[in-house]
Amino acid sequence: MSIRRETPGGEPALEGVLAERGLVVRVERRMGLAVLVADAGTVAKLGDPELRRTALALAREHGFSHVAIELRAD
Amino acid sequence: MVIDGTNADDLADHRPGAQAAREHGVRSPLADLGFTKTDIRERSRALGIPTWSQPSSPCLSSRLPYGTSVTPQRLQQVEVAERALRALGIGGDLRVRYHDDLGRVELSSAELVRWMDPAQFVRLRDAVLSAGFARVALDLRGFRSGSLNVLHGVTAA
Repeated sequence: MSIRRETPGGEPALEGVLAERGLVVRVERRMGLAVLVADAGTVAKLGDPELRRTALALAREHGFSHVAIELRAD
Repeated sequence: MVIDGTNADDLADHRPGAQAAREHGVRSPLADLGFTKTDIRERSRALGIPTWSQPSSPCLSSRLPYGTSVTPQRLQQVEVAERALRALGIGGDLRVRYHDDLGRVELSSAELVRWMDPAQFVRLRDAVLSAGFARVALDLRGFRSGSLNVLHGVTAA
């Protein structure tokens, strides 16, 4: 069994392509997990299935297997 | 003799616990007879067993990434968080994955959209925070079996 090691980079590029689609977020990497840090309005935007699928696809292209958005107290 | 409920579907997944069980002589009659999870649900339903449609609920240690020590405190943290989410009325498959200070919530696709509404997600967040996590994140893909195996690159996404 091989365990995937954390690879650096990818976060700023993902932030950029998400911003182009109206999702202003900060990306934190935890192994293959991208944690999106954003305001409540962005969480609501991602309720749209199409936009969510797009975000997941973009994250995969940037080396992430998982994407989660932080639920913060604004 | 010790037997467990491993089924034929489980054999295709990476399950370190199953390997440990085999090494200690635990037998898996359902898997030995080729019963898949679907087979077991169908037979259970036919026999009137009320748990036939119960969501799967694997060992809580499956919520912890590889390399993270399994401790009673961490397991309890996950258990309390998942129980708090159930208390909100969340149905279907549900997992709280442990990432140190952060609890990552995986919900069924039927539940996911409802809990992305700002008026609702505060309740979800507070439920997980009550279990001792400092941060809470909602997985955008939702529940997937073996999620942490994918995260570690053990199985394909």
